[in-house]
Amino acid sequence: MKMTKIYEGPYQWIMFGRDENKPGNIIDSNQYMVRTANRCLIMDPGGIELFAPMLAAVMHHAPVDQITDLFASHQDPDIISSLGLWDQAVPNAKLHAAALWEGFIRHFGCNSIEYVGIPDSGGTIKLDNAELQIIPAHYLHSSVNFHIYDPQAKILMSGDVGAALEGPGVPMFVDKFDSHVEKMRFFHQRWMPSNQAKRVWIDRVRMLDIDILAPQHGRMFKGDDVKRFLDWFESLQVGIAV
Amino acid sequence: MKSKRHKAPSQFVAVASIASELSAVMEVAKEISLAAANAKAIAFRAGEKARGFQPITDFINELAKETIELINDFNGHALTFYQLTVNEHKISEAHSQLEKANKLAFGAQYASSLIVPMDGVKLRMQDCRRQFKGHVIKLLDQLETVMHPARAARVIAANSRIEASQAGEYLQSLQAVAESVDKAAQVIHDNVQRCRSLLSIIVTV
Repeated sequence: MKMTKIYEGPYQWIMFGRDENKPGNIIDSNQYMVRTANRCLIMDPGGIELFAPMLAAVMHHAPVDQITDLFASHQDPDIISSLGLWDQAVPNAKLHAAALWEGFIRHFGCNSIEYVGIPDSGGTIKLDNAELQIIPAHYLHSSVNFHIYDPQAKILMSGDVGAALEGPGVPMFVDKFDSHVEKMRFFHQRWMPSNQAKRVWIDRVRMLDIDILAPQHGRMFKGDDVKRFLDWFESLQVGIAV
Repeated sequence: MKSKRHKAPSQFVAVASIASELSAVMEVAKEISLAAANAKAIAFRAGEKARGFQPITDFINELAKETIELINDFNGHALTFYQLTVNEHKISEAHSQLEKANKLAFGAQYASSLIVPMDGVKLRMQDCRRQFKGHVIKLLDQLETVMHPARAARVIAANSRIEASQAGEYLQSLQAVAESVDKAAQVIHDNVQRCRSLLSIIVTV
């Protein structure tokens, strides 16, 4: 599992991904962690297959008892099917996930971890000196979907928005936006169901000051590529399978 | 490690098989109950000729009822047993994954912090296994209890045959009742025996 620090300030953001030992037939995913003085939030902690390498990677940055919070952008297995294992490893942690998905996500196993239901309107997660905003991203792609925005670090963890389906071992950041577009096109057209939802999200996100857009699959976008991505996504017709 | 991974699926299959065997026992017990009602009607029609048969029909009915009650009670325990199987599987998997994480984290700054959750999971796993084994022993005892009415039914079937031989023109009908009770008792005996074998497999896996 590769680890990349993407923000260093009063606290840190670390990206985990490109696990060389993961089975080849499961999709590669990016996990993100905010590490403050005494607490850690792991965003989209991943599937069952990823639990051990992910936990081992976290051990380079924080002790297990400081993993106090988990966040699931939505209910997919590559996002949170490891929940039953985290439930055994960090039984006192909280899981921040959509209130509407609670009965579904609990199928992955959530007996000890506290499920903190996020209302449709979003909310905040406070970790020591970090205050993270939970941004609604409904229907992108899941019917109840959230992203995490950090105004201090200027990072938007954008779940499946901005995701690209690429081979293993690709760079962490987009380097040539124009050629990267083709790696995103089908994913966004096929997985994102609603042009209306897309427009609402773009309007909302354009009001945020973003240095890094950090999707759950593929490369992150930095600097001007964030705006390029929003412009490209705005012009893309999605929901093509009907 | 390999044997641990194979253990859970075989447990799940065994638990499902036990449920299926017992469901069949329940059906057979219901059939015995029907046979008893049928025998009672025949014995009533036969009057004096089947005087000895009449109390036997009540016995048959009682045995069927007892079996049904025992199976119902057993099914409640079997549900707990299934939940214990699921819990044990989850905790064993977590234990194995934490061990894997601990190996992968070798040399990491905070690797030693994994010891506390690993110990916690290990304790929970041991406790779950203790509960699991205790439950299997309890279920084996219960299955032994279910065998009692089945054995008694076979004795009654033998008596029924003797009584039926004195029932004149009702001989064939009453002998058919005795046969069906005997056959049902044998089925119950065999199914319960298979459940016991399955439970024994679970304990020894």
